[in-house]
Amino acid sequence: MSRHARDDNVPLNADATSSRDLALEVENLRTVFHTEHEQIHAVDGISFNIRRGETVGLVGESGSGKSVTARSILGLIESPGEIDPASAIRFEGDNITEYTESEYESIRGDGIAMVFQDPLSTLNPVYTVGNQIKEALSLHQDLRGTAATERAIELLEEVGIPDAARRVTEYPHQFSGGMRQRAVIAMALACAPEVLICDEPTTALDVTIQAQIIDLLMDIQAERDLSILFITHDMGVIAEVADRVNVMYAGEIVESAPVEPLFAEPKHPYTRGLLRSIPSTQTSGDRLETIKGEVPTPNEPASSCRFAPRCPKSFEECSEVAPIPTAVGDDPDHDAACLLYPESMTTDEAVAHHRPADDGGEQ
Amino acid sequence: MGRWEYFLKRVLLMVPIVFLGTTVTFLILRVGPIDPAAAIIGPSGDTEAYAAIRDSLGLDQPLWIQYAEFMRDLLTLQLGESWVVVRGQSVWELVGVYGPRTLWLGFWSILIPIFVGLPLGFYAGLNPNTLADYIASFGGIVWRAMPNFWLAVIFVSVLTQSDALFGFSWGDWLVETQIVTPPDLSGLWEPTQFLGALKAILPAALVLGSASMGNEMRIGRTAVLETKNANYVEMAKAKGVPGRLVVWKHMFRNALIPLVPVITGEAFLLLGGSVLVETVFAINGLGYLFFQATINGDVPLVGSLMFLFILLSVGINILQDFLYTVIDPRVGYDGGA
Ligand code: SF4
Repeated sequence: MSRHARDDNVPLNADATSSRDLALEVENLRTVFHTEHEQIHAVDGISFNIRRGETVGLVGESGSGKSVTARSILGLIESPGEIDPASAIRFEGDNITEYTESEYESIRGDGIAMVFQDPLSTLNPVYTVGNQIKEALSLHQDLRGTAATERAIELLEEVGIPDAARRVTEYPHQFSGGMRQRAVIAMALACAPEVLICDEPTTALDVTIQAQIIDLLMDIQAERDLSILFITHDMGVIAEVADRVNVMYAGEIVESAPVEPLFAEPKHPYTRGLLRSIPSTQTSGDRLETIKGEVPTPNEPASSCRFAPRCPKSFEECSEVAPIPTAVGDDPDHDAACLLYPESMTTDEAVAHHRPADDGGEQ
Repeated sequence: MGRWEYFLKRVLLMVPIVFLGTTVTFLILRVGPIDPAAAIIGPSGDTEAYAAIRDSLGLDQPLWIQYAEFMRDLLTLQLGESWVVVRGQSVWELVGVYGPRTLWLGFWSILIPIFVGLPLGFYAGLNPNTLADYIASFGGIVWRAMPNFWLAVIFVSVLTQSDALFGFSWGDWLVETQIVTPPDLSGLWEPTQFLGALKAILPAALVLGSASMGNEMRIGRTAVLETKNANYVEMAKAKGVPGRLVVWKHMFRNALIPLVPVITGEAFLLLGGSVLVETVFAINGLGYLFFQATINGDVPLVGSLMFLFILLSVGINILQDFLYTVIDPRVGYDGGA
């Protein structure tokens, strides 16, 4: 059940950081959805961790498995979805994938909280914003009545909602988009979680509001020493918020690195493609490039590079060998899963390095 | 605009609707094919008596005067007298006799589906694609597909012979009741009287409510399935709200919103459907009275009953707006944010 049983699958960010500094550790997470005809490996053996007070980015196109990762961490995967029992998600010393539903309820909101993409549909339309914040307070902090109302007003003030004492009694539809997302953040912060998962928190908002919400999240993080998992498809946002970045493609993490080396020297062809598709990195006059095609649905165990059909650098072996995360570049934390690496080897040697050899590796 | 302002507006809107409905009723009665004088006199009457009656009824006055008097009488709730069905009897008295039976029937045929159909539908929605869901959904479809008149006849014949069929006499069970007779509605506050009246109306209410029960179940199931996948439900779970509270607090209230018009809409249908069921079960309620008045050309009785039906529909409409206003805070909100 632990990493030792699966030594063949080296966690991407395996480094010297002692586990006491880790707020959250995801090891070899696999989330499978069983449909009538096939199995969708929505998250296919990913590993990463978040240190205390750090923001880790999870970036990729839609369909890459980012949101399923977030929901897997919070134990929100429901039938026909299932987390492979060999997966581990460590939070406060426990493997929370083994938690019962009621154990999970006690850490949701309290230990790990989440901010969702669309603030309007995230708030229940028939209850006041205050009611929904107080609900969290009464569940985890046993605050009720006036004390809870006062705390809710404080929280709304903390996330920058003016006239909070009045707004606490208003309904979500009376809030503007940006204010709604602030209210959702207030709700997520209500019980002082250690880890905050932000799933595309700015995607549904205007550009100016986006910047405000990001500033707010960064301020809150600094104040509370919060660990954030920031999920987005937007490389521009990632550059602003993240300390370390994991690039996800078709259920796998294809590259992971601290933010500077990732943007300065992206190694994986997919990451390079993503970076070329953000406007700010373009020298003026160039046409904005996009990666053609769509993320494939991972409906069988990886036996090739899933990016191969779209990869400008793909070669023959790419459709025969599934690449494994490999150290690339100067930074020890910089890994990529691509048959072109390690750079020091010839292509044949590199392919041999990735090929599941005789060590009993999977598939 | 606040929710309650909006509600008030809706209520005020009902005034012109009552006016319009009553006017249409007048047109149908006076300009239509029914000749009240002929109806009173019957086929054998002679022309002189006929003319006298027309005169005394004011039927030869200009139409607009007739209209003004008609409207004045109804809007001041002077419902007049029956001319044919029970000649000389005041309409209010007739309504006093026939009305409670219909209300009693209507009340239970709305209530039973709500307390049977809704919970079944919600349960099926919470446990989709399980055996219980299939049984409930299939049963609901079959139940809804059975026509009222057929179901009513089957009920009557099975219940009257229940002794011979099952060795169990429905008529003697708990309290003695008749099966095909108007329910005795006196002394309802006494438990045995109440039970008797309820038992007497139960088969008819089940028949009349059968379609509603099926509908409410089906739509309740869909509504729960929809709210189940709503983002606010996921958010509630992500906050650590226990499963049971997610269902009761976050799902059900939202699931009720699409059900409000379904339930009130069925209340309208019951107005029409009750004539048939009342006839089979011999309940002799308003539906029966209206039917008699219509085939006998009892113009003032028909007009007054129509007016009462209009008031009832408007009342149901107001109730619907009231329920919306209570359940959904977005009511009357005209965008902006
Ligand atoms: S393994 Fe091959 S196809 Fe995959 S990213 Fe590398 S070069 Fe491209």
